Amino acid sequence: MREVYVVGIGITSFAWLPYPLSEIAAYPAMVALKDAGLSKVDHVYVANMGSAWLNHQTGLASAVVDSLSLTPVGAEVIENGPASGASAIKQGFLAVASGLHDVVLVTSAERLREVNNLEATDFVASLTHPLAEYIYGVTLPSLAAMFARLYMQKYGVTERHLAMVAVKNHDNALLNSFAHLHEKITLDGILDSPEAMTNNPYVAEPLRFFDCCPVSDGGACIILASADVAKKLKKPLIRLAGVGQATDTHCIHERAEPTDLLAVRGAAAQAFKMAGVAPGDVDVAELHDAFTILEIVESEEVGFFKKGEGHHALERGETRLGGKLPINTSGGLKAKGHPLGATGVAQVHEIILQLRGEAEKRQVEDAKIGFTCNFGGFGNNVVCFVFKREN
Amino acid sequence: MALEIYAYRCRKCGQLHYPFRMVCKKCGKNGPHEFDTVPLPKTGKLVTFTTLHNLPPDFNVAKLALGVVELENGMRITGQLKIPAPKIGMAVAGRVEVVREADYNKNYGIVFYPA
Amino acid sequence: MSIDLEKILRPIENTIPPFPPKYMKLAGGEEMIIRQVSREEIPDILPHVEPLLHIERDYYDIVAARLYSELLAYYRYRVQDEYVLVAQINGELVAVVNGRLLSKEVGMSYHTLALRRGLRVGAHAFAAKMEYHFDIIGQKEVLIVAESPIGFRRWMIEYSLEKRFHIPHELGGVPSWALTKEMFDKDRYALVVGRRPVPQDLLAKAQAAILPPTDPPRAPADLLAATRSMYDSTGTALMAQRWKQEGMD
Repeated sequence: MREVYVVGIGITSFAWLPYPLSEIAAYPAMVALKDAGLSKVDHVYVANMGSAWLNHQTGLASAVVDSLSLTPVGAEVIENGPASGASAIKQGFLAVASGLHDVVLVTSAERLREVNNLEATDFVASLTHPLAEYIYGVTLPSLAAMFARLYMQKYGVTERHLAMVAVKNHDNALLNSFAHLHEKITLDGILDSPEAMTNNPYVAEPLRFFDCCPVSDGGACIILASADVAKKLKKPLIRLAGVGQATDTHCIHERAEPTDLLAVRGAAAQAFKMAGVAPGDVDVAELHDAFTILEIVESEEVGFFKKGEGHHALERGETRLGGKLPINTSGGLKAKGHPLGATGVAQVHEIILQLRGEAEKRQVEDAKIGFTCNFGGFGNNVVCFVFKREN
Repeated sequence: MALEIYAYRCRKCGQLHYPFRMVCKKCGKNGPHEFDTVPLPKTGKLVTFTTLHNLPPDFNVAKLALGVVELENGMRITGQLKIPAPKIGMAVAGRVEVVREADYNKNYGIVFYPA
Repeated sequence: MSIDLEKILRPIENTIPPFPPKYMKLAGGEEMIIRQVSREEIPDILPHVEPLLHIERDYYDIVAARLYSELLAYYRYRVQDEYVLVAQINGELVAVVNGRLLSKEVGMSYHTLALRRGLRVGAHAFAAKMEYHFDIIGQKEVLIVAESPIGFRRWMIEYSLEKRFHIPHELGGVPSWALTKEMFDKDRYALVVGRRPVPQDLLAKAQAAILPPTDPPRAPADLLAATRSMYDSTGTALMAQRWKQEGMD
């Protein structure tokens, strides 16, 4: 297997984007190609979850490759629920690592706001098991809420800890021009004051409004290349050193231990093993905080903290900008936004910015090893990456 | 006649499954659809629960109580709750009722009440 | 002796109990005051409603158009028993709500316009309006319509309003929904928020002047501008676009 490098990155703002879906995928690709100084690639992957349902567009990859005038290069859409982004990058990695291609463009896009809120909720709820979960009105927030309730009971996580994650990520997003939400929030405003219940109402108890990520449109792109191509370009060499993936049961009630996210544990372990580093070596990480509880739990399952200790690390400020292990410097899904198919690529975009030293006000000093975790469904399909800066 | 929710028992090794899956998760040796249907018990303990305020379409109520229950035979099931003050670990008893109505389709599922 | 036409054209002056101002803390930690305004202050509000007449998104245009006419009618004595409440943060106008009294028992909610992004400002202001009708004026029922889907979801579904479809609402004759005193009392914990009395200095600042909103709703920006930083590596593409919108270029 050859070594694979990230040579170009691009992203749109995450917000309401009233543009055709193929444009939302093409814009960041154009930015990434310019970033890499390339005009040709060998293959294109497009990560997307809802083009057929939300945007009435199938065969998105063919549309995007034509929009970019990259024909006759091959292209596919990769769909893996909210982990589509990372799965698409994984396909790109395989293509270059195997020697089949030298340069692969992985772009992504999601346009949830083309439909109304009810439709978007139903779309996301279609991840659940149709007969054992969906018919009951189960939505992703309700699954996260039931999980959070158990976690609170077992490990002592409180609503305050969840709110702290939201405040931290909102603060980080204020420094990120691409983020969806540029909104300062305070613990007083969303939790302590008498009006907190109106400011921050329950969505699915015990999860509240500011515990859930917004509905965003957006796109992101990265370009993967072989060592020969990477060394020719005058950019820091950042290698995709570790890849891991694992699945778990479809129904949440069938999980072996209801408070475990075994797919996260397994995927992270694979990625670290392949990269030859330990969780303690990571300088900066992007975790999948579609719900604030997930940032805390994932930080434990990937190995940064012991199980049940993640919220203590949060209390000590270890995961803030300037802390021992900053998590979600981009603002995370909570404040940067969560365009489902694009999220996995956007996480990598942030890590590359960090490892290149281009993260401006949210730069983690001397970041050399970065980590991402992209969580599909509700933990039934997870893809993790380890990135290393090599010069 | 009371309605049932069925588990699927592998004809090769007897492992129970809920919901249905094509390949037995224990022995992996069954042929397609080589399962027997076995009604699930309806009593058990509440494992976790939530009250959902932001509802999906088809629900014209203000909020919806959902939960995961561990049934007497050790299997777990997701269902709606009609329990005034749910607590983790409490004893519950289920009935199969209409849980969702979309246009002209009625979906039947389990609803748990205090035992 | 000249006939005073104005007397004939004006509404009957009924005494309505005034709305006691209250204040609350928002998600971002700032304190917001909700108070009633008199006719004299309407001209200070109108210029901030006007720009929204041209924003189609989220039905701002129709809400602004109708609200503008209601405010003007109140100011110029051409509507019966209307009230106007404003929400202010540091003196800055962030929401306007209004309605009128159909009869002693029934109120008609007009509009809720939030002038700062962040949904909860509108929620607080709407709740204050309902508190006015039920707790302070002592009414039995308030008729409500929603022009935007967000409003519909928030009020009709969240509060389980009753249909009163046989009563056309003054806002365009569309079918009305009603919030009754019973429903209001049941949801009181969620609806009636805010504290009284307002601290003297906070109230004085709010009453001194109605300042322009700093972050009002705007026509959608070109949000792909961030990617144009590829042509502008200093990342000022987004900034330059914001300046253009604010008329600062």
